[in-house]
Amino acid sequence: MSRRTFIKQSALITGGLFVNNQLFAALVNNDNKIMNIGIIGCGDRGTGIMKVMKELPDLYKVTAICDTLDFRLTNATKIEAAKVYTNYLKLLEDKNIDAVVIATPLNLHFEIAKAALEANKHVYLEKTMTHSIHQAFDLMEIALKNPKLTLQVGHQYRSSPLYYKVKEMIKNGYLGKVTQIDARWDRNWNWRRPVPNPSLERAINWRMYKEYSGGLAAELLSHQIDFVNWAFDTQPNQIYATGGVDFYKDGRETFDNIQATLRYQKEGMVGNFGATCANERDGYLFKIKGTKGTISLLMNEGIYYPEKKTKKELDTVDGVTGATKIIWNTDGGFPLLPESTLDGTWYALKDFYTSVSENKIPDSNIFTGAKTAIAVSMINESAYTNTIQNWLPEYNKFDLKEKG
Amino acid sequence: MSKIKWLLFRKKLIFTIITAILLISFKTDSALQKFRLTGFAQGTTWQITYFAKDSLISINQVEQIFTEIDSSMSLYKPFSIINQFNASAKGVKIDVHLKRVIGKSKIVSEETNGIFDITVKPLVQAWGFGVNSHNTIPNKTEIKEILNCVGNHQIILKDDSLKKLNPCVQIDVNGIAQGYTVDLLANYLETKSIRNYMVEVGGEIKVKGKKSDGNHFTIGIESPDDVLNLPFKQIISLKSGAITTSGNYRKFKMQGSKKLSHLIDAKTGYPIDNEMISVSVWAKDAILADAYDNVFMNMGITKSFEFLKSKKDIEVYFIYMDKSGNVADTATTGFGSFLKRG
Repeated sequence: MSRRTFIKQSALITGGLFVNNQLFAALVNNDNKIMNIGIIGCGDRGTGIMKVMKELPDLYKVTAICDTLDFRLTNATKIEAAKVYTNYLKLLEDKNIDAVVIATPLNLHFEIAKAALEANKHVYLEKTMTHSIHQAFDLMEIALKNPKLTLQVGHQYRSSPLYYKVKEMIKNGYLGKVTQIDARWDRNWNWRRPVPNPSLERAINWRMYKEYSGGLAAELLSHQIDFVNWAFDTQPNQIYATGGVDFYKDGRETFDNIQATLRYQKEGMVGNFGATCANERDGYLFKIKGTKGTISLLMNEGIYYPEKKTKKELDTVDGVTGATKIIWNTDGGFPLLPESTLDGTWYALKDFYTSVSENKIPDSNIFTGAKTAIAVSMINESAYTNTIQNWLPEYNKFDLKEKG
Repeated sequence: MSKIKWLLFRKKLIFTIITAILLISFKTDSALQKFRLTGFAQGTTWQITYFAKDSLISINQVEQIFTEIDSSMSLYKPFSIINQFNASAKGVKIDVHLKRVIGKSKIVSEETNGIFDITVKPLVQAWGFGVNSHNTIPNKTEIKEILNCVGNHQIILKDDSLKKLNPCVQIDVNGIAQGYTVDLLANYLETKSIRNYMVEVGGEIKVKGKKSDGNHFTIGIESPDDVLNLPFKQIISLKSGAITTSGNYRKFKMQGSKKLSHLIDAKTGYPIDNEMISVSVWAKDAILADAYDNVFMNMGITKSFEFLKSKKDIEVYFIYMDKSGNVADTATTGFGSFLKRG
């Protein structure tokens, strides 16, 4: 009787992934180094990250917070009694801070991230990475000059095991040839935050103004755009987008209704990315459609729907041996995970910690972040100017460095 | 008619008759209908698929067999014989089912140098994997004490009696009872002259014969993974025999960041902690396959292959974690011949 190895490293299982998470958990528990964090920008997202950090006391301690609005600082100190700053440059002078979270309006991402790297801080930079294409390149230059510092971009959903699994399934051909991607992020409200004083309108509702924000494409659709780039190791080569301020004619500049078509020529795929503030039926929708099956994703759960022919192949067995039985959903889908994952931020922050402590490039890094920022800029340029935008060869100038 | 001609004619006639018989029997075979019974028992689901001219068994008859087994060896039935034994000081009289199961357990225990051990129950309970589940972890002293009640030498099977050397001795036949049930159901089908069937209880399977399309039964081996729990790791096709799977990928507890397997080593008193993720065992009978799947989980890859050198009638498929932390699989050569695709 001899041993026979059928699959050396299982393509189906990719155990490395989950297993490494487990090992990672073990590692972290044995490590006493708690990272001191400065939060720059204490709005919904900044305080949201603070709350997740509170759940990871072995990894993080928020020791400083910064915002230009007093009521936000008051609010944030209720989560953590950290040192308060109103000027981020002062916060960056604090030698005890190891890393900063930047969760400010998009227009400030570049200058604060640049200053943080120059102040020798690791950076967790909220999406979208930068407001403009040239800022993305400038930030990459700076990051490359500081190889010991980690810069992770907050496309947090794809840090979850669910999205890794989807990437793996795509790679292993479970979907067959993917030709279409449908992504939506819809809501039925004005997307505004309450303003205590009219003079603060632009500071609080910065998402409404082109000067500060890339609108729905930057704030919402960028996650799905980023995932497609990452999962297929690609980027759109052509984009045409349209939209308008179609419902909330309240003085806003960024569109409340947008649709973008992204062409991925090399992969032979079309991506349809849309968002509206005037219908919430679909909410978050993300479907990746291939000849063998479809994956339908929420943020924390996913379902695989095989095409009829694939389902027939999967159903050919008469019995199943194993610890648990496969149970198909009544709608013909198969849940990708036995239970929902945690919030993506939780996994993203774990990844950030590992990247910093092991000096490795995080999966959501400055290169992938730049590609997504470029795509978002192209969508807005296309929609605002009614033009077709092409991915220019120079946008790939950092590709080699990324692979290296 | 000359003699030669007659002989030729006779030869032709015989050939025609044989052909006719063959055609008739072929026609009969293809007229076999598929019957499928399913239900819930032993804390899991079961299904019986068989091919016959007519419906030959009923759900009631199958359920009666399950009830009989439960009354004999279910730890979840307060008045089962096994629970009476566990509560007794010296032992009790047992029924034919428990007697067969304990008889087989003893044999496997001897063959595996005590790795297979049904007296493990107090340890299983202490680690919280028993009938009364809990989250406390036993300490060293407690385990040492419990080990005094564990060991196959502690139980003695004589005629219809099962005796214990120590009142604290308790048995748990969960690692073998389901396989026994599968065999029992298969035997029941045989008594009804069913020759083409698949019996499955909680993922433990026995098959015989062919389906009406002329193919053997196909069985998927579940992918033991929390991340990619997609349908099947491998698909096999079996002419006959039983296949069972043991894995620690679903049933475990977390101690800090460490996974504690529900499979407890009766010798050390601690959950097994090795590279194994899942083991699927083929054997002629389900009771044997069922007993051995846990044994190989305990042994690990190297010891298992060593052990299997002297075993001709067992084929095994292993999924394990290799040294670099990746999931890998390997199998005995004989198992390779079952593979449908891979």
